[in-house]
Amino acid sequence: MKTKGFPSEWTLQRAIAFAAALGIGVAAYVAIVEAGGGSPVCLAGAHGCATVARSSYSHLAGVNIAVFGIAGYALLLAGAFFANDAARLGGFVLALGGFGYSVFLTYLEIFKIEAICQWCVGSAILMTILFLLNATRLIAYAGTEERARPRARRA
Amino acid sequence: MRAEPERRQRLLQMAAGAAFLALAVVLVLIVVNSSGRGGDAKNIGGKPDVDRLLAGIPQQKMVLGDPKGPVTLIEFGDLQCPVCAGFAKEILPPIIENQVKNGEAQIDFRNLTIIGDESIPAGAAALAAGEQGRGWNYLELFYRNQGDERSGYVTDEFMEAVAKAAGVENLARWNQDRRQLIGEVEKTTAEAGKLGYDATPSFAVEGPGAKGLELLGTPESTGALEEAIAAAK
Repeated sequence: MKTKGFPSEWTLQRAIAFAAALGIGVAAYVAIVEAGGGSPVCLAGAHGCATVARSSYSHLAGVNIAVFGIAGYALLLAGAFFANDAARLGGFVLALGGFGYSVFLTYLEIFKIEAICQWCVGSAILMTILFLLNATRLIAYAGTEERARPRARRA
Repeated sequence: MRAEPERRQRLLQMAAGAAFLALAVVLVLIVVNSSGRGGDAKNIGGKPDVDRLLAGIPQQKMVLGDPKGPVTLIEFGDLQCPVCAGFAKEILPPIIENQVKNGEAQIDFRNLTIIGDESIPAGAAALAAGEQGRGWNYLELFYRNQGDERSGYVTDEFMEAVAKAAGVENLARWNQDRRQLIGEVEKTTAEAGKLGYDATPSFAVEGPGAKGLELLGTPESTGALEEAIAAAK
């Protein structure tokens, strides 16, 4: 299915799956390093990652926010495998929540923690991309029937 | 395949509602986090955290930890400095909980006043609390209730509220001491200047493994301070 002026839904789904998989990688790295008692390593010798990781804002209810990130990205990845309205709306709402929270975390980094973590910036960029992809998908394909799978076999 | 207009319209309305809600939540979170910026004498918070952090650790004037500890970590700080407050909240607690609590190191706080004139009485008030063995409680509570730089929040009322929360028992003596200790603040500020320090917080370490007083500058992680302590042992 393709709506005029938009990429095909299949293309959007693949792009969402790719960005979500990258997001899982980023969040998993931060969560694993933190669980091992360390701090994520910033590139080019910057030290913001350790400062942000040790700030009180890095945990929600005692759980590292990277763990919530893994869950969010995993759900977005799962939503990319379905082409129905539930997946489109669910993906949009999840990506919207992730994008909104990324905006808030970026605000905290700049104005409260006064340190920038490159991994957090990377995750915020991925969430922004996922939000745009899911919003495009919803606007272009909401209300359409389920897309036939390219290689579905019929009995 | 044909779009069903009603279903589509309903979905897009729901999405618009969610977007509006998300925007409102983010704005509320930002407003909540930007308000309550401290410096409120009537609302001194963080006492349970500070009491827990410092429980059982000896204090002698502004030195935290066992005086027989082999390593001394010297911190030059300014009570109005937000980065120092960040260190107090994020970087130093693991050092206090480990190296200081186990007697490996002690931390000696010295004033280096760079932010503004109010930093001097603020620093002297901490030293006066130190005269009663509550210097680090004062320091930690001040940082946790710090207002905006040079916003005028460092009033007698604010400093007294911090002293009370810090457990300074003899407030009359504290009031007298803090006026007499202004010179001490200026002295350590000059001492830091001689070391080449003009930014806070700045650290130095001395111990049997160090070559005299080793300057550390501003290490940006707990790990860097831990390494410096281990090397100075």
